[in-house]
Amino acid sequence: MEKTYTEKIQIHKKNKLAGLYPSVKALVVLLYAICCFILSTVKLTEYELALLLIPWFLVIPVLCAASGAFNKCLKAFRAVSIVALVIFLAQSLLIPGGETVLKLGFLKVREQGLRTAITLSFMVMDIAGIFVWMFQTTENKEFSRALENSGMNYKATYVFISTLQMIEILGKNSKTIMNAQRARGVETEGNVIVRMKAFFPSLVPLVLGAVISSEERVLTLEARGFDVACEKTHLFNLEKSGIEKQVTFIAVLITIVLLVWRIYLWIA
Amino acid sequence: MDCVIELKNVTYSYPLTTVPAIKDLSVKIEKGKFYGVIGENGSGKTTFCALLRGFAPSFYKGDLSGEVLVEGRSTLEYGPGELASKIGFVFQNPFTQISGVKDTVFEEVAYGLENFGVPVDEIEKRVVEVMKLTDIESLAEKNPFDLSGGQMQRVALASVLVIEPEILVIDEPTSQLDPEGTESVFKIISKLKEKKKTVILVEHKIDLIAEYADEVLVFKDGSLVAAGDKQEILSDMSLLEKGVALPQVAILGNTLKEEGVPLKYIPVTEKQAEEVFSELITGKE
Ligand SMILES: Nc1ncnc2c1ncn2[C@@H]1O[C@H](COP(=O)(O)OP(=O)(O)OP(=O)(O)O)[C@@H](O)[C@H]1O
Ligand SMILES: [Mg+2]
Repeated sequence: MEKTYTEKIQIHKKNKLAGLYPSVKALVVLLYAICCFILSTVKLTEYELALLLIPWFLVIPVLCAASGAFNKCLKAFRAVSIVALVIFLAQSLLIPGGETVLKLGFLKVREQGLRTAITLSFMVMDIAGIFVWMFQTTENKEFSRALENSGMNYKATYVFISTLQMIEILGKNSKTIMNAQRARGVETEGNVIVRMKAFFPSLVPLVLGAVISSEERVLTLEARGFDVACEKTHLFNLEKSGIEKQVTFIAVLITIVLLVWRIYLWIA
Repeated sequence: MDCVIELKNVTYSYPLTTVPAIKDLSVKIEKGKFYGVIGENGSGKTTFCALLRGFAPSFYKGDLSGEVLVEGRSTLEYGPGELASKIGFVFQNPFTQISGVKDTVFEEVAYGLENFGVPVDEIEKRVVEVMKLTDIESLAEKNPFDLSGGQMQRVALASVLVIEPEILVIDEPTSQLDPEGTESVFKIISKLKEKKKTVILVEHKIDLIAEYADEVLVFKDGSLVAAGDKQEILSDMSLLEKGVALPQVAILGNTLKEEGVPLKYIPVTEKQAEEVFSELITGKE
């Protein structure tokens, strides 16, 4: 028999990690971030660097690969790495204090600078990385259903999900607008300054358009019965992948082990 | 006939404006009739629709004097969401009529029914039916944001039709559609009449209004300058001066009548013209 549309919109994931219940993914994200903080307090080498944050990042590509989403995540990692690199360079070169660790012509990397640079940039890499994993392996409607199930207000859920959708749409629109600007003779290619000049005028229609359409969207929602006070129906149902308990157990266990080890280092 | 919506001496101005967008408007909307709303750009058609649905003033704010009664009760007295099941509203701009939280057309159309708590099986059935009616079934699994303007307009119409409200307010549903699409949307809307629905439709395409509407409301500068039976309104040459584009056949009919050609009546649709002229010719033989 032909599948019904209601059946077609359900999400069945073969990969058990990718198919984890969203709240379990959120727990993994939270615990991973907590571990980051624990690891960042462990200072190594004579300069007291939080070097453990670097191998801790390896968890993420492994997790993504095991979730069958490595390629999908790669692009986002590239963006994250660029941000982290900028932070790293800015912090290491600009913060004075302590001995000079490295001398590159007139640029000096001082002890203090290196310390914050490593902590900050890898913290960003790690935490942004784990979020990339969560968002790349979860679809918007899974989030929205999970948020509602967790008792979150219907309106708040809407705001959250429509924001996620909006980011995608803005990305698309910005390309359309860029093309329109180019057609009008605005340079959108070339060096940074030329691009900047093109960037700001293109933001105006983008933001304005978003504001106007969000105002009208309020009415659209009202017309679709968004405000009706009754039990809502859900066509989409969340599934569990079956390894939720195990994953929760492992994540909690790793966190506890790290914590105990950290406390042991303190007292020993 | 039952009166479902009544406006009594309504004057309305948007916030921060000095000139009212609607001036001293009184009109009765009767159950089961198809109203065509016409008028120049900026004449107040959309504002009129917003008043019927209570969006003005509840959403737009601004000043309202007089009364808008839906089934005898002022729109100001209806709580949030209460009018949604009574009056379906299709907006002029199709691009903002996407809920923004659904990633297939099927789910988009189903969204209203989810909000009303309709059981899953019934939603599936009703959505499929309405997708067939509006000819969007082939788009069912597409992302609503990836549609063309005309496709979005159909999805927007479908999303409201599926709720099956008693009254439908539709603001220029065909602005993005090709002639064929426009004709088919009109056919869909006229089918609603068989189901005893009340339809208020804003449309610039006068020939279609002439063919499908029962009554015509003509707006100019925020006032209702003419209202009544379509036959009467659309053959009234004085409306030409008020910026209303009358059907070509009506203008021709009027001109011929002035020149002394004995027409039985002034035709407003092609079909009527055929009847009148063929009678004229065969009568003369
Ligand atoms: N949100 C608003 N705020 C202030 N003024 C408005 C607003 N919307 C419309 N107006 C003004 O109210 C008047 C009537 O506008 P309305 O949109 O009702 O016209 P319309 O007949 O629907 O025109 P069109 O054929 O272009 O859709 C216009 O003068 C318009 O400038
Ligand atoms: Mg309008």
